[in-house]
Amino acid sequence: MKKLVELHNITKSFDDLVVIKGLDLYIHENEFVTLLGPSGCGKTTLLRLIGGFEQLDKGEIIFDGKNLQDLPPYEREINTVFQNYALFPHLNVYENVAFGLKMKKVDSETINDEVQKALKLVKLEGYETRSVKKMSGGQQQRVAIARAIVNKPKLLLLDEPLGALDLKLRQDMQYELKDMQQKLGISFVFVTHDQEEALTMSDIVVVMNDGEIQQIGTPEDIYNEPKNKFTAKFIGESNIIDAVMKNDFLVNFEGVDFECVDKGFDINEEVDVVIRPEDIILTKETPNKITGIVDDITFKGVHYEICVLVEGKEYVIHSTDPVTIGNKVSLNFDPDEIHVMKKSV
Amino acid sequence: MTIPYITWMAILVLLPTLLIILLSFTDLDIFDLKSFSFNFDSIEVLKREEVTRAVLNSIKFSFLATILCFIIGYPVAYFLSNLKSKNKTLYVTLLIIPIWSNMLLRIMAWEKLFFPVSILNMFGVSFDLIGTDIAILIGMVSMYLPFMVLPIYSVLEKIDTSLIEASKDLGANETKTFLKVIFPLSISGVVSGTIMTLLPAMTAFALPERLGGGKIPLIGNIIEDYFLKTANINAGSLISVLLMILIVALFIVITRFDKEGETLI
Repeated sequence: MKKLVELHNITKSFDDLVVIKGLDLYIHENEFVTLLGPSGCGKTTLLRLIGGFEQLDKGEIIFDGKNLQDLPPYEREINTVFQNYALFPHLNVYENVAFGLKMKKVDSETINDEVQKALKLVKLEGYETRSVKKMSGGQQQRVAIARAIVNKPKLLLLDEPLGALDLKLRQDMQYELKDMQQKLGISFVFVTHDQEEALTMSDIVVVMNDGEIQQIGTPEDIYNEPKNKFTAKFIGESNIIDAVMKNDFLVNFEGVDFECVDKGFDINEEVDVVIRPEDIILTKETPNKITGIVDDITFKGVHYEICVLVEGKEYVIHSTDPVTIGNKVSLNFDPDEIHVMKKSV
Repeated sequence: MTIPYITWMAILVLLPTLLIILLSFTDLDIFDLKSFSFNFDSIEVLKREEVTRAVLNSIKFSFLATILCFIIGYPVAYFLSNLKSKNKTLYVTLLIIPIWSNMLLRIMAWEKLFFPVSILNMFGVSFDLIGTDIAILIGMVSMYLPFMVLPIYSVLEKIDTSLIEASKDLGANETKTFLKVIFPLSISGVVSGTIMTLLPAMTAFALPERLGGGKIPLIGNIIEDYFLKTANINAGSLISVLLMILIVALFIVITRFDKEGETLI
């Protein structure tokens, strides 16, 4: 796939606070990329740098082969869906959507066609003359998307556009956005702090923390093969355990040796081990397994969330079978469900 | 809850207004209730040349002063609202400070400067402006400029910066962003500022009297003359009513420009 955006050694600070620290990233054509991270990790700043709303301190942004340095936002073939939608309150739905095309001096007949198409895509036909102030959050968000995609940008930036919506609407919009991206064949860069949203929608997830990229990968990679403790903790629930690598394919934690599928560590290197809650199966107490006492159990709908105490350390297990609090149980998992990571500094 | 409001409005607004309307159409010598009788003789006064001239003067000077205030005031408000300096409040305060001193004093200060012999002679400058249109316009603009700047400033200040970013994101350069987004969103401030400038300018009487040297009477001066100099209460009342109608009509027309209905006044 062709590279659409190349970020080289991007650095940005506000006053004395460095928010992006020498970051490199490629975004390919027709790719749904999500920037995922906790608030304050620099993901929105990164988006604003691409959009041209902030100036780089160092590094360069190459977009479609051109350096974007000193190019104002209105000369970039990039459109943005803002966090609070930023719809023009003095214009109605039609005028909002037509704004970009009018700026490009497109003839009014074409504008009309394109606006109708865009409104159809976001399922807002018939709302042309409605005041944007009198619309619900979900509708406003659709207008904001229509207003951006009507310009047929090569890249669409979305800054937590689903943040203000309720759960059901948010889930619907996740699928619709993904669907839209595939239909339009343009690249999306989507900023969110919601890991589930990131996993559902993206081709590529970029996990960020503290102005640096922690991991880039497909949702499956990120979930199954977290590179470090931060990613493991941030993406889904996980049990992170201190362990020692005895040899290739052999790891020791909680005083028990386990076969695993990881290699390439030093002998006796201290490592972190991740086991996802749904990968652990509880059985009656058996020797040579990690054993603990059931401390708590919560019904979560699809599964029970069970808390097991192993020598004072908490393990979270997802299981469809209930257990009794106070019982002694053993934790079972297959070698390929043990994921060994280097200790992060 | 609304009873205190209604009471005060009745005493302070409705009653005097009704009284003025009543006085317009009665034949009443001062303090002599026996001579009370209805008639419409006072309407004749509107045909007098001095009255029509004063009405036209009022309209002319209030419109010119308002336009000048807008031309000078909008850029000032825009500049202030875009200021990133920590001294922003200081600059806004500087703009307000003149309002704190008495208007009559400020008018008289201008008057002194506009006479040929003034403190300005020290710097080798001498004006002879008393009785000219320019003197009245300078006076009006200096009196009412803050009232134009402040409402526009406060509206500009409240415009969400993401709207400006959205406009640029959609391909509008600085000029188009101003014309298509910033200015339309500041209309309510312009309307408030216009009302705050136009209406006091129209009713001004101390200012034209001092700076106009008695040569350029506005409606306010005519009303004052009828009440205080010739004791023609009926004619004075009628012209007051006329002025009121003019103001209400202007008010209705001006507020029409504010589609959002967010005008402060």
